[in-house]
Amino acid sequence: MSSTFIYHPTESEAEKASNSYLMSLIAIMVGFPLPIINLMATLFFYIANRKSTYFVRWHCIQALLSQLSLFVINSIGFWWTISVLFREDEHVSNPYLAYIITVFVVNIFELAITISAAIKTRKGQHVSWWFYGPLTQMICKP
Amino acid sequence: MKKTILQAFILLSLAAGIYLLISRVNWMKLFRIEKMTDALEQKLGDMVWAGMEEQSIEEGKEYDRVDSLVTAICKSNGFNRDKIKLHIMGDSEVNAFALPDHHMVVHTGLINAVHNNDELSGVLAHEIAHMELSHVMKKLLKQMGYTLLISITTGEAGGGAIKELLGMLSSTAYDRKLEKDADIKAIEYLKKTGISPNGFADFLYRLGEKDGSLGSLSWISTHPDSKERAKYIREEAP
Repeated sequence: MSSTFIYHPTESEAEKASNSYLMSLIAIMVGFPLPIINLMATLFFYIANRKSTYFVRWHCIQALLSQLSLFVINSIGFWWTISVLFREDEHVSNPYLAYIITVFVVNIFELAITISAAIKTRKGQHVSWWFYGPLTQMICKP
Repeated sequence: MKKTILQAFILLSLAAGIYLLISRVNWMKLFRIEKMTDALEQKLGDMVWAGMEEQSIEEGKEYDRVDSLVTAICKSNGFNRDKIKLHIMGDSEVNAFALPDHHMVVHTGLINAVHNNDELSGVLAHEIAHMELSHVMKKLLKQMGYTLLISITTGEAGGGAIKELLGMLSSTAYDRKLEKDADIKAIEYLKKTGISPNGFADFLYRLGEKDGSLGSLSWISTHPDSKERAKYIREEAP
């Protein structure tokens, strides 16, 4: 949800904050299956901006935290798929298909809110997600 | 802090809830995966067998001996005997293997190498276990993939692919875990039939010793660690 930040960000801050969300979309550009790519992209972007202004840092951390949980979910799906493909005692089953469909649903939802956050922060609005927002607030200090 | 922990808990519960809800749907049935695999298995079995049919012995003393043992195992374990298509091959190699669609091939070399029916029953129970546990198709799907298997059945992959598939099933071992699973199941089948698994263990031990009188030992070369297997079969036997 959108809320007011403690100060109004400048045009350049809004652009950088928006880019932190766009970084997490990079996985789609380089190929979806490797779950580590989007996490790495947001992590590098955060490192590059860790001394930036509060608004930029705040959004970099929120993007990073959301990617971290997505990374766990996607990694399980990735390694499960690898074992289905290469291990003789593992095969396509209903729990596997249900998990992959869940991963797909979660990723689509995450994609939608990330695009929305990128657009809003580009306009200088402050977007604080449910759970990730308060968690970011605890980690990131002005 | 408390609020954030509560939110994390709700988020995790939500994710688990979504998964549980989605897993209520029978996706295997919806995507017709089992039906597709069964149809593919039947087609593959028929195609592979068509190439070997000429060398098969479908009657006589040897056939009757193996048939009676297979029938006894099936009857005692509640399996449909008619599902298993038994074939005896005139080949001196000590070998037996399962093909797709419940085709079971036993070489005369194996029949001559065993000392008694208990030993032969052990090998037959092991191959029946591979079939009952769907190991044949699991192995083929892993090593060749759906696309290649489908292209074999449509003739796109060429005749060489069937030979490759047959070679894989008759001379390459399943992975260690599947072999052990088949051994454990075989012990169960033998016990239910009233046959002591010790005969199976004795045969494996002899194969492990690479007894020269046994001739060409395909079954041992495809099933590693025979002595170790003989040991755990003996442990499981009463």
